[in-house]
Amino acid sequence: MGDVLSNLALGFGVVFNFVQWAPPFLGGMSIPIPVNILLCLIGALVGTLVGVLPGIGTIATVAMLLPITFGLPPVGALIMLAGIYYGAQYGGSTTSILVNIPGEAGSVVTALDGFQMAKQGRAGPALAIAAIGSFFAGCVATVLIALLGAPLTKIALAFGPAEYFSLMVLGLIFAVVLAKGSVLKAIAMIVLGLLLSMVGSDIETGASRMAFNIPELADGLGFATVAMGLFGFAEIIRNLDTGGESDRQLVQQKVTGLMPTKDDLKAAAPAVGRGTVLGSILGILPGGGAVIASFAAYTLEKKVSRTPQRFGRGAIEGVAAPESANNAAAQTSFIPLLTLGIPPNAVMALMVGAMTIHGIVPGPQVMQKQPELVWGMIASMWVGNLMLLVINLPLVGIWVRLLRVPYRLMFPSIVVFCSIGIYSVNNAPVDVILAGVFGLVGYWLIKHDFEPAPLLLGMVLGPLMEENLRRALLISRGDWSVFLTRPLSAVLLAIAAFLLVLAVLPTLRAKRDEVFVESEN
Amino acid sequence: MSNAPGHAPVKSIMPKWVRAPQDFIGGLALVALALFALWASSDLQGMRGFSFGAGTAPRMFAFLLLGLGLAVMVVGVTSDGPHVSTYHWRGPLFVSAAILFFAFMIRPMGLIFTAFASFMIAAMGTPETKWKETVIVAVCLTAFCALLFPYALGLPLQMVPKFMIR
Repeated sequence: MGDVLSNLALGFGVVFNFVQWAPPFLGGMSIPIPVNILLCLIGALVGTLVGVLPGIGTIATVAMLLPITFGLPPVGALIMLAGIYYGAQYGGSTTSILVNIPGEAGSVVTALDGFQMAKQGRAGPALAIAAIGSFFAGCVATVLIALLGAPLTKIALAFGPAEYFSLMVLGLIFAVVLAKGSVLKAIAMIVLGLLLSMVGSDIETGASRMAFNIPELADGLGFATVAMGLFGFAEIIRNLDTGGESDRQLVQQKVTGLMPTKDDLKAAAPAVGRGTVLGSILGILPGGGAVIASFAAYTLEKKVSRTPQRFGRGAIEGVAAPESANNAAAQTSFIPLLTLGIPPNAVMALMVGAMTIHGIVPGPQVMQKQPELVWGMIASMWVGNLMLLVINLPLVGIWVRLLRVPYRLMFPSIVVFCSIGIYSVNNAPVDVILAGVFGLVGYWLIKHDFEPAPLLLGMVLGPLMEENLRRALLISRGDWSVFLTRPLSAVLLAIAAFLLVLAVLPTLRAKRDEVFVESEN
Repeated sequence: MSNAPGHAPVKSIMPKWVRAPQDFIGGLALVALALFALWASSDLQGMRGFSFGAGTAPRMFAFLLLGLGLAVMVVGVTSDGPHVSTYHWRGPLFVSAAILFFAFMIRPMGLIFTAFASFMIAAMGTPETKWKETVIVAVCLTAFCALLFPYALGLPLQMVPKFMIR
């Protein structure tokens, strides 16, 4: 317990770190500036700003805003990215409540009741309860991360290459099982990601692999490049198909009366609690993260409610539960990333990409060697949640105005902004072209109902998997049975196999689809 | 996301036995990609004793993808599924053109010109564009980027065309 407290204290120390700023025009006077808090604030603000734009999901937002953190020191960059992530999530909820076009999959369910509430003139309470629920869930999840962080890291340090490989297999299978759509196609996307990650030079021999003598490919496909193409550009092209304007039904009346009534709070409180618990658990599992959590929380609320017929007609529990679950899961999904170094979903994969660019290899070693980085980030999560509560509610008016920006003006701006962002990473025009190519690939994938998120996950895990596979086989002198004879590895693989069988069994598949079905009607 | 087969009566060039063209073509493309990867990694060294060569892992993943692609194709033949949805040419064409233009012009022409011109090219991607407001927004965005990237974010980007610097 003392450990947890001292760790958290270290984290908050990093976040509340003041830097003395002495501009020449003040004549020698210096002002203390809380740099990291400011970065967190700016991150949450721009994250919301972009996340609020209809049709731009959390992954796209984080991918687009990655380059703006590259110039910062590592701790500041990660704190800002965390802020961007929460901002984007909250922006997505705002959009789904006010426009009924969820910016991201996680807030699809929020739109069901949130938009109905908005239509009844109760957009204010809906937005407020989303923010309050998120904040509560964020607080709980932060404590949970602090509690689980250290022990999990100890377990992770005992892992050998064989265990790591099996753990990654399990993580990828989880990602497939908890995702929406065809299991087979999701696995195909993961393998495609793994294959793409092989481009570049081989870690051991340095041989150039599938790079076709293109110097820019010698170091492999840039992670930010692929993410921006698959999520940024592809989304833009896809949105152009549907004509942008036609199906936007923005709530026209002014958002007044932010505060929920006593009855609202009374109805929402238990939903927030249940959503938080469910979200925290699902977030830790690799693969699931925010999306499944919000769907599951909504389904649960509907099941336990005494008046399930109110759902879909503006029930406040239908906003409170998925929003809390969503945020709790978003936060606890940092646990596998920080302790095991394995990203459980696409957003976390982007975080790994950002860390690698700053020269940090995520995993148990980071927790020990750079504790101020990890704990600073954990503390910044709580601060980030507070920021959301403080900045988002008063700024609702601005977000509403942003929602009125027509798509025809928005999309060229995003194209240009992304292009500059990608170019600025390496000052390489080839990267921009590659992102464009991946934009078209992403468009094609959407047209054929392939999910791009597992691809990204595969791409990040590819080099790690290969390295651990190689090492495990080298240690066992080429004996493949090592994965089954080492007990921990065998257990992990068994769970993976079990999950995969479950996922393809027809009855369970129907159950799984049922959870997602809410969004269809 | 409608799963109704034959949702739109599109003239299908697919033979009748392909019951889910969307999956069938998707799988076919994955197979093609896997074969391409196998060819591209064929010059790399394979297993040396019990240690991996540079080409072992890429070939392993390529074979896996080959199998999965074939499986997706089989699904496309054995079960009913949606047609390939219609492609639009205008959005993809102009967005790609804007990206390509940006990539080729940023070095010689600098940020200000390139950002503005790319914006205008991308704007052609939809028939809804109204030119007057587009020009105004393009100017504002260019100014914003010219301030944001080099000054606020400290990224050294060249602003004006090369020939003007000399």
